Amino acid sequence: MSPVDESRFERAASRLLEQSLLHIDARTRSRLNQARQAAVAAAARPRWWRAPSWMPATGALAATLLVALFLWHRQTPGELPFEVSHTPEDVELLADSDALELMEGEDGQFYEWAATQSDNGASEG
Amino acid sequence: MPAALHADVDDSTDSSAARNSRALNQFLAGVELKAFKIAQAALRHEDDALDAVQDAMLQLARAYAHRPAQEWKPLFYRILENRIRDMQRRRTVRGRVIAWLPLRGGEDEDDEIDPIAQAPSTEPQPPRRLELQEAMDALEKALGALPRRQQQAFLLRTLEGLDVAQTAAAMGCSEGSVKTHYFRALQSLRGQLGELV
Repeated sequence: MSPVDESRFERAASRLLEQSLLHIDARTRSRLNQARQAAVAAAARPRWWRAPSWMPATGALAATLLVALFLWHRQTPGELPFEVSHTPEDVELLADSDALELMEGEDGQFYEWAATQSDNGASEG
Repeated sequence: MPAALHADVDDSTDSSAARNSRALNQFLAGVELKAFKIAQAALRHEDDALDAVQDAMLQLARAYAHRPAQEWKPLFYRILENRIRDMQRRRTVRGRVIAWLPLRGGEDEDDEIDPIAQAPSTEPQPPRRLELQEAMDALEKALGALPRRQQQAFLLRTLEGLDVAQTAAAMGCSEGSVKTHYFRALQSLRGQLGELV
């Protein structure tokens, strides 16, 4: 096929295809028109609402806030942020008034003495 | 900001949006019939072709209306092509599923032949018009038989008038591929149809 023939064929095909557009029925034209109007209306809506680009950032921020809120609520007012162990010995110490007095230092000298005694005993033994 | 200046800014924004809407409307009006023909040639179903064009219009409007107008055409045809491919894939899957079903229902209502539509027109057709109609039908039939990429390259180039670069952008392939597909389509059509009217 020569380039001239090709060109003639292309022109004829183009002309026929253009003419075939004129034969498109009214129903189809009407539906295309409606689709076009809907598309133009969609484009006229504000982009910030349509654009999904802000959604991931907002989602991440919301998730962070949610986690922070959850952690904050889990920690009741007055509670220390670290774990405090309440062993039975601690409870006994608190319940025993004598022991408290010892802790407050009234018999601090006794404890100093007792400590030296045990050290001497250990060195002697 | 003074009220008058604020009003000016609003006016310019409004007029810019209105101008963009008008340009988009004009663009879509210019491509809708050709896009329908291209979709129809690929899908061979009028309603599916309409759906494909409608989806492509909406997607272009939603995602690319803010882009420069000269970019719209390749973008629009790229979207349309993706939509056509999706529909063809879905149709293939549906066909496979239906083929596996033990019992098939009656024929699809859409496929029923409308006897009124099929009735020959009482209007006498002038010979020239009849000749053109026959050539048009033969061309459409031959186009329908082409491989999809050849069909697409031919219609985008011949009907829509896209150049090679724009066709490559719309088809998502290289310019060399466009030239190859187009040449093969031309050879095949010419071989089947000979000289067109």
